[in-house]
Amino acid sequence: MNRIRVVSWLVITFLVAACGSTGGGGGGNSYSGKTIKLGAVFSITGPGGVYGPQSRDGAMLAVKQINASGGVNGAKIDLTVEDDASDKAQSAQKAQGLIQSNNVLAVLGPTLSNSAVAVHPLAESLKTPILAVSTTGIHIVPDCKFPDATPCKYVFRDSLGEQTAIPDNIKAYAEDQHPKTGVLLVAQDDKFSSDGGTIVQNTVGQYNISLLKVIKFSKNDADLSPYVTQAVQLKPDVIFITSLGGIPAKIMNAARNLGWQGQFLGGNGFNTATVSKQAGAAGKGARSASAWYIGNTFPSNKDFVDSYKTEYGKDPDQFAAQGFTGVLILADAAKRANLTFTDVAGDRDKLRSAMESVNIQTPLGPFQFTSDHDVKQTVWINQMDGAGGFTLVKEIPAS
Amino acid sequence: MDQQIVNAIFIGSIYALFAVGYTLVFGILDILNLAHSAVFMLGAAITYSVVVNHGQSFAVAAVIGLVASGFMGLVIEYVCLRPLRRRQAPPIAALISTIGLALVIVAAVEQGQVGSLFSWLWVDGSNSLAFPAGTVPDPTWHVGDLTLEASKVLIIPISIALMLILGYVMRFTQVGRGLRAVAENPRAARLMGLDVDRMITLTLVISSALGGLAGILFGLSLGDISPYIGRDNVEVRGLAVIVLGGMGSIPGAVIGGYLLGLIEILALVTLGSNARGGVAFAALFLMLVLRPQGLFGTRLRERL
Repeated sequence: MNRIRVVSWLVITFLVAACGSTGGGGGGNSYSGKTIKLGAVFSITGPGGVYGPQSRDGAMLAVKQINASGGVNGAKIDLTVEDDASDKAQSAQKAQGLIQSNNVLAVLGPTLSNSAVAVHPLAESLKTPILAVSTTGIHIVPDCKFPDATPCKYVFRDSLGEQTAIPDNIKAYAEDQHPKTGVLLVAQDDKFSSDGGTIVQNTVGQYNISLLKVIKFSKNDADLSPYVTQAVQLKPDVIFITSLGGIPAKIMNAARNLGWQGQFLGGNGFNTATVSKQAGAAGKGARSASAWYIGNTFPSNKDFVDSYKTEYGKDPDQFAAQGFTGVLILADAAKRANLTFTDVAGDRDKLRSAMESVNIQTPLGPFQFTSDHDVKQTVWINQMDGAGGFTLVKEIPAS
Repeated sequence: MDQQIVNAIFIGSIYALFAVGYTLVFGILDILNLAHSAVFMLGAAITYSVVVNHGQSFAVAAVIGLVASGFMGLVIEYVCLRPLRRRQAPPIAALISTIGLALVIVAAVEQGQVGSLFSWLWVDGSNSLAFPAGTVPDPTWHVGDLTLEASKVLIIPISIALMLILGYVMRFTQVGRGLRAVAENPRAARLMGLDVDRMITLTLVISSALGGLAGILFGLSLGDISPYIGRDNVEVRGLAVIVLGGMGSIPGAVIGGYLLGLIEILALVTLGSNARGGVAFAALFLMLVLRPQGLFGTRLRERL
């Protein structure tokens, strides 16, 4: 009898130990009663405030849904969202606070590429996984410390880079309408905008579009009329706008006021209802490539759109979908990472490794990271409908 | 180019209106009131808030914005300037104290969120906002090749009329004579029975009301109201304008405002868009080197 009892205890002890040490079971680890602390740095106010609130709302919705359905292996997600006011210095400060004071496992954000150049290298040096959900500039991944080309191990991105979005958009329009001339209006003192401008300049030649002028301005310039006047007076077929916040809408309104009837082409800066609404009728037909389209038929998209509408009483946009996806990615990685909840540095490392093998369904489509930690996905060419929304022009499958 | 000249005259009117308030204080007190750009912003922010968050008409809101801006003149005088004047502090102390007040005003607006201490003033944090469409009728007229937007065109006569009234008051009324006397020599003015403190207070109220009005018109016509519009758009340019025109000279500020508007557009058209941002600094530098007293200045001010 005694021997049977001893053997039974040994078997149970062995099984418990075995459970504790397996990581790839996908839900085999019990995190019951624990809390997974995540942080996010978004631009809720400032020029990025037309994007950040939707990223936050999408992320919070995912947290709410995951927690309501039992959490991550039983652990609740606690997401702390900080507003960086669209300011690079504040962004780095808020990220540092989340990593070092709040001891979060991973960070989402920041909203703007301009802030990412400060925040991502910081997260890399503090060995904390950071997932960009809206930054689309150049050198976000893998070379977050550009010009140092060493790949950043802890930096990931689920947002479609402008290096894909802008050329796809120009190509689609050039194939449809064969424009001959263009003028580029670019905010020169913002990384996202100036990167976009560089991409436009590098792309137009391939489609025989002659760039008549590159007009640079400051993102802080309130009076854009002289720049728009200069662009319109050149009578281009296309005005390319690479800028963020409310600026594209102001340019569209000013150009239409001056009687210009050509085509506006842009980048991710167009892809939110706020900009479409601000542009109003002046924006009708303005095209951009987007990481997401509200009517896409990916399996989890309809549920996302329905629950977002129920939660917030409005349609989601690309930034909401990317924020939502960001939390799904971190939750999936956490589920498989065999977290200890006692060793933050070790857990961050485990999470980082698990993120590299994420393979899930999201509103953006089936999601996996490339070896550069970037996203590879379907691109949607959308155009503003003149009433605050977007209509689909074309779908470009992931290549 | 014709349309660009319209653009230059429009923005020049804003610069001029802003700079007149700036230079008025300098002319009387020999100090730069660097809170002026914050009052410019506050005028726009309060007017926006009264329209959007408190549901009033633009006319009512603009009057409230104007009165609040004028009131800020009292705050500048009683908080920043008078205590220092009593202690005979050097002008640099007053300059720094007005910078401090500007930072406080901008930070207060920046912190304005729903439920915060400053929510009555502003609830949109760092956001940049425009008055809702239809706040004021804003038709666009096409005259030949020119496109004229009512909200921008109206700024020009309003600015010119106000500057003419101010010029008249300064030159032909007793108050104006009093102000000029204080500007010339405060001690002599006091000995002649003038209430110098009252004159200075009046100057700051008029100056701040003009700054606030410039902000209101700026916000209305450019659709850009945020805590940073003063700092980003008029602070340094206003300084360039009064250096161009002659520090302390009201006609100088008016001419300087339009001149800077034109120079900026010329730089944009001839040198390229990059040049527009730096041209205010270049004009300021060149004028200080070639003619430190400015176009209309009669003497070189020694104290900043």
